[in-house]
Amino acid sequence: MSQSAESTAPPIGLKHRAGMRPVVRSLIGALITALPVVAIGFLIFAFAPAYLVRVAFAAYVNLLIVLGLQLFMGNSMVANLGQGAFVGIGAYSVAILATPVAMKKLSIPHAPFGLGQIAIDPLLAAIAGLGISGIFAVLTGLVIARLSGEAATILTFSLMMIVHSVFIHWTDLFKGAQAFFGIPQVVGLPSAIAAAVLGIVVARLFKDSRAGLQLRASAESLLAARAFGVDVWRLRLIAWILGGIMCGAAGILYAYFMGTINVRAFHFELVMTTLAMLILGGLRTVSGAVFGSALLSIVLEAIRSFESGAAIGGITLPPLLGLSGIAMGAVIVLGMTFRPRGIFVRLELDELLRRWLLPPAWRRGRGRT
Amino acid sequence: MDYVIQQVLNALAFGAEYALIALGLALVYSIMNLMNFAHGEIIASAGYAMYLAVALGIGSPWLVAPMAIGAGALAAVLFERVAFRPVRHAPSTTGLLTALGVSIVVQNLFTLFVSPRPRSVPAFNELSRTIFIGPYAVSLLQILELAVVAAAIGGLVMFLKRSTLGLAIRAATREFSTVRLMGIRANRVIAAAFALSGLLAGIAAIFIVARRGSVDPDFGFQPVIKAFVACVIGGFGSLSGAVVGGLLLGFLDVAIVSLLPQEYGGLTDAIAYALIAALLVVRPEGLLARRVELGDKEI
Repeated sequence: MSQSAESTAPPIGLKHRAGMRPVVRSLIGALITALPVVAIGFLIFAFAPAYLVRVAFAAYVNLLIVLGLQLFMGNSMVANLGQGAFVGIGAYSVAILATPVAMKKLSIPHAPFGLGQIAIDPLLAAIAGLGISGIFAVLTGLVIARLSGEAATILTFSLMMIVHSVFIHWTDLFKGAQAFFGIPQVVGLPSAIAAAVLGIVVARLFKDSRAGLQLRASAESLLAARAFGVDVWRLRLIAWILGGIMCGAAGILYAYFMGTINVRAFHFELVMTTLAMLILGGLRTVSGAVFGSALLSIVLEAIRSFESGAAIGGITLPPLLGLSGIAMGAVIVLGMTFRPRGIFVRLELDELLRRWLLPPAWRRGRGRT
Repeated sequence: MDYVIQQVLNALAFGAEYALIALGLALVYSIMNLMNFAHGEIIASAGYAMYLAVALGIGSPWLVAPMAIGAGALAAVLFERVAFRPVRHAPSTTGLLTALGVSIVVQNLFTLFVSPRPRSVPAFNELSRTIFIGPYAVSLLQILELAVVAAAIGGLVMFLKRSTLGLAIRAATREFSTVRLMGIRANRVIAAAFALSGLLAGIAAIFIVARRGSVDPDFGFQPVIKAFVACVIGGFGSLSGAVVGGLLLGFLDVAIVSLLPQEYGGLTDAIAYALIAALLVVRPEGLLARRVELGDKEI
């Protein structure tokens, strides 16, 4: 509730932009947050070796998942452990729809509903994949939006377990525990960067919108928000659907880049890693989602090279299995010890920048220092 | 008939194991609202203590078992001191992530210093033999497990009801600040709750090792996930709810496995979680949760 003053009041201190609409301000804020994301992405795309491009792509896909997670979890403060289901559904949708028929004869010859005989354009398949994630989100959200606390968390977790077992069990359609191969590789790093920027904009606009504000109010006090006439269930449903579609989009990108997907990629490890990224960054802000995933991605990659036995100054270290895990866990524990609410607690990057860069006199009257 | 009795015993044994672990989770949760994801690593620590004991040449189950229980309690208290104390007053997502971090660190420590592969712990191999009670063949391990779990739960109830510290723990689940106003040290209450949850985890670890015969870094993961679910079914934070939820989950698991036709075997998890989800939709607060009044439990 404390942020209501901010989203409605005109931006004091920027006189030449007086009267700038809140939507525009949120949009500019989102783009400022997205700036380092784009800059780093294109530097890697232009100069880094292919291996690093691959790593970066995975990081951008994770960022999109974290943003989807933030959209629901950060605004409603209902912990979600089910994002793996949406990523998997997105990835398998395009895998089944867009893989060439000849390839499907090898991989899923007994596909039901005649899906083995069709192969549609990757773009159409992607749209269909988003639609399927969306429909799945609507159906599950109708139930999940009504629960709070641990019950909601375990419900999202059950959702992922159910979807996971169906993927594994229904071998005719999903190839079970084996890798699904032959998906057309039609996207590169720029698409992932674009998707991440779009994700940042959507998450930020939602957060600053009327619906987002009301949902954040409901997280502070469910009872008070409902007493004020906030339709919490509907707002949670909207956030759940938007977040689910974002995770679905991440799965689609992942499948189109890798060409081969495995059901294991959409399980616990993904859920835990993305959750850690979000909470470490600060789950209430979009900037937190961005910087948390950047931080953890970089740490993980830096340590992973050590783990496989790096050479420093001519001395080759022996491979140390488990080191990356220890480092990641240590980053999480220390991060939580020193910044229990994450890196970006309440203010977004652009709001912090405005506070630091503008002289104090200009800020007077905001009453939020 | 024989088959039915065997399956009921199976269900009870699984249920007892889940209940034991769920009790530890519920104890910690009811006091400090912490979903302790690192509970699995407490179980694993007890498991690796047994591995260490056997590797050092201590083979007698009578020595190995207390070591496991002690190691569980020690690990729990250590985790609390090092990681959870600094985030005690932070939001619950912070505690959750800290626990996750601890769990990742400890799991990888075992990977790095012992081995990523399973290590065999043969200390309890003799327990997995079959004995006859009247005409029925039953597994000694399962009978023993039921007896020990019943004794452990009985002991826990006695401790919570009869001792001062137990009283403080029970009071802290209702209103921690008042407990502190009565001159009880917060640190002591929380450490005691962690130690108790570690003891229970240590007992659970013994039976998991006896059944599997080995430990690996993932050792505690599956049981703890089940125990979480058991807690939620029973009502998170409620001790009796944890026991009921654990037993119910044991029966659910065994019933699905034995009733489901062979070709749908892969859907065991899907059906179990679908039933759990349905239960939560009908009763979001769980089966036995205490009704929370407005204003209750605001630390």
